[in-house]
Amino acid sequence: MESEPQQVYSVSDFQAVCNQIMETAFTGVVVEGEVASFKLNQGKYVFFDLKDEQSSVGCFMMAFALRFPIEDGMRVRVRAVPKLTNWGKFSLTIQAIAPVGEGSIKKSLELLKKKLKAEGLFDKTKKRPLPDNIQKIGVISSTQAAGYADFCKILNERWGGLTVLTAHTQVQGMTAADQIIKALKYFNEHGEVDVIAVIRGGGSADDLAVFNDEVLVRAIAASKIPVITGIGHEVDESLCDLAADVVASTPSNAAQMLTRDRREIAENVRADVKRINNLLNVKVDEITGVNRTEIARAGQEIMRKIELFRQDVLAQYKILEQLNPERVLERGYALIRGDIKLGAELDITTAKNAIKAKVMEIKER
Amino acid sequence: MAKNINDKIDELKTGVEWFYSDEFKLEEASEKYKAMTELAKEIEKDLAELKNEIKVIEEDFSK
Repeated sequence: MESEPQQVYSVSDFQAVCNQIMETAFTGVVVEGEVASFKLNQGKYVFFDLKDEQSSVGCFMMAFALRFPIEDGMRVRVRAVPKLTNWGKFSLTIQAIAPVGEGSIKKSLELLKKKLKAEGLFDKTKKRPLPDNIQKIGVISSTQAAGYADFCKILNERWGGLTVLTAHTQVQGMTAADQIIKALKYFNEHGEVDVIAVIRGGGSADDLAVFNDEVLVRAIAASKIPVITGIGHEVDESLCDLAADVVASTPSNAAQMLTRDRREIAENVRADVKRINNLLNVKVDEITGVNRTEIARAGQEIMRKIELFRQDVLAQYKILEQLNPERVLERGYALIRGDIKLGAELDITTAKNAIKAKVMEIKER
Repeated sequence: MAKNINDKIDELKTGVEWFYSDEFKLEEASEKYKAMTELAKEIEKDLAELKNEIKVIEEDFSK
């Protein structure tokens, strides 16, 4: 040792140099393994071992950074900084952790779902409907994702005149949840959109695991602006879906739910015009029909009155006929005019003759 | 202020309702029908021409 002079470190310096070297060598190393000896101390500090068949490494993290429920036996992926502690123990200080593999994701999902449900985050009575007359949509998605392209395609096919503000974020991977949360915060702080759409196309359970991130789920539930999710395929259901106000089965379905269909509206407009045209024809027919009926009724009334008048005239005529003196003469009577005194001349009129006569005798009856 | 497509659709709806209402007058119906037909044509034209404006926010959400 004497022939090879070397720098002598204090223990603390050696530990600090080791940490410096590791930080330089591993700027956020990602390690995957199985959780063992999981412990939560004082509700703040999380300790566990990450192991595989041959090796094991101690892990430490703050409880608030734990975005998914973790249990022993779960397979997880961590982003961490390797560290030599003051006690000389090597450990990973975890920045982010996520379950991997179908079994672990499912288990973690079930635990978190139970917890958040108990807190009322998925309460159906808290759901808000999509606003009427949507003008501005805030979209959170990766602009490179196929799901986003599908969303925009359907949106443009169905309707126009909308303003779509897209927040480009990762939609999978360990940083995705934080990016989506920042985008949600951005839209809520700026308050210029009517609705927020969280969009992501289909993928494996690992790809979609970000949408089961506890902090993200809480951010969606707390959004002041209504949130619609269009994540994965129809069979996929994430905790973000459960927390959102409206759930679409796919990105395309989200675009359908946010817009009216311009083709359908055009058809309705044409149908409206046809309908009022038909209605107008019916109304004209009705009014013409009413007029015809009224004219017929008035005609009948006039004829009835004429008949009554005719019958009245006929009756009067019959009475007059009976009073006609000629009719009396025809029955054999005679009309005598002149003074009734002896020797006076009388004019006698019968039905057939006009007679001059003289009064020969007058007797009382 | 120019009417947007939603205003026009609402106007058409109100116009159609008039034909079914007690306010209907045959003397006014022909003019109203012509106006509704014109409005319907305008709506169809607007529907065909409407475009969305899609903007990507400049904010970097990865930081």
